[in-house]
Amino acid sequence: MKKQTFSVPDMSCTNCAMKLESLEDDLDGVREINASYHKLQMTVEFDESKLTVEQIIAAVKKKGYSAVPA
Amino acid sequence: MNRQNKPAFGPAILLALGVGLIAMSVIMLAAQNQGGEGFAFSAGSGFGGRLSVAFITGLTTGGLSCLAVQGGLLASSLAHQIEQDYAGPVRHKRGKKDKLVHPQHTNTALPIGLFLLAKLVAYTLLGFLLGWAGSFLTLSPLTRALLMIAIGIFMVGNALRMFNVHPIFRYFSIEPPKFITRYIRRTAKGTDTFTPLFLGALTVFIPCGVTQAMMAAALATGNSLSGGLLMLAFTLGTSPVFFIVAYLTTELGARTEKFFMRFVAVAVLILGLVTLDGGLNLMGSPLSFQNLSRSLLPPESPASVQISSSLPNSQGAATLYVENDGYFPQTLRLAANSPITLSLITDATYSCARDFVIPALGFYQLLPDTGTVQVKIPAQPSGTRMFFTCSMGMYTGMIIFE
Repeated sequence: MKKQTFSVPDMSCTNCAMKLESLEDDLDGVREINASYHKLQMTVEFDESKLTVEQIIAAVKKKGYSAVPA
Repeated sequence: MNRQNKPAFGPAILLALGVGLIAMSVIMLAAQNQGGEGFAFSAGSGFGGRLSVAFITGLTTGGLSCLAVQGGLLASSLAHQIEQDYAGPVRHKRGKKDKLVHPQHTNTALPIGLFLLAKLVAYTLLGFLLGWAGSFLTLSPLTRALLMIAIGIFMVGNALRMFNVHPIFRYFSIEPPKFITRYIRRTAKGTDTFTPLFLGALTVFIPCGVTQAMMAAALATGNSLSGGLLMLAFTLGTSPVFFIVAYLTTELGARTEKFFMRFVAVAVLILGLVTLDGGLNLMGSPLSFQNLSRSLLPPESPASVQISSSLPNSQGAATLYVENDGYFPQTLRLAANSPITLSLITDATYSCARDFVIPALGFYQLLPDTGTVQVKIPAQPSGTRMFFTCSMGMYTGMIIFE
């Protein structure tokens, strides 16, 4: 399992964090996502053998946000 | 039921819901113009007037403020529906040719309606509980003032957050615990009827600033039925704005939402400043906008100038008329260095002006809707400015001792 923190500068409310955390259910290989509107960050714990950082960034983009590895 | 077979909630149903909500608003407004007598649930207390004020507060300010705070939950309840509706065209094979089939667009009026219905029920129950709890404790004007100031700061901070003034203001937005958001998210994927109902009920955990003020008012009623009715009237008032704006933003898209959020930010900022000012009034602070302007600016309207009936007579007495739209005269000039008996006269007064407070004296009394109550004011040195206000910090006035 790998833990990666991303900066997500375009979150505008706590609901954005909730939307990002919903990737837990959408992405295979994700164990847990903690997104914080206060910090404009999200931390993803995932299985490297099933998922890549690039795939996570693409999934975040699909939700309407941009993620940059911190 | 297959998604394609679901009934579509067309403009007719939306219109009917909108008209229904607006009709209720008009009825309540009309009731207020009649002095709220038609809604006098507590005999002789003018409680109907308070219900009307609560309803109008919801209608004018609560709806926008609540939407700013609770919009996320509503969005969650609609997300599943919208995701289904706008999942994009589905490609169906027909022989060798592909045909693009656009999914039927289901109207969002029903989930919004269900969400608001659940919210209405939940807040009425909350008001019932608060009123019941309030029967065991009483909020002093000072406590209420501090509560209003805290709420005002919270609202101003939220408005500045919406304007992206500084990252620090993001902390004015309360992040619900992870287990709650996860639970809400998973619930939002449930059936179309249950989700908005459940999420609407959950809004009790994230009340907006105006709602919190109304919750304090429900607590102050000290009666479970009165508390429940007060929250019912307020939440009913928030519903038309909530419904119309939520519908428009979900239907008209992100561009409108961005414009709307700016509008909400301005409204919340103004409301926050008004709430803050009300709290300062209730503390008797000379720094509130109303007290500051009254002290600095010369009196302009007849209501604020000294009138003969307010002059102290030889026995040291003065009269203040407590009316539905405030106190008259707003500025009393009384003799310094001698005790004064101030007569507060009400005549079919049902507004919050009846909840009369003189913060400097620690005087607080709910006046009868019609009658006279006397307040003994001890001798004050010349130049003293003593402020008086209603318990919500809305209507104010000042006594100058000279």
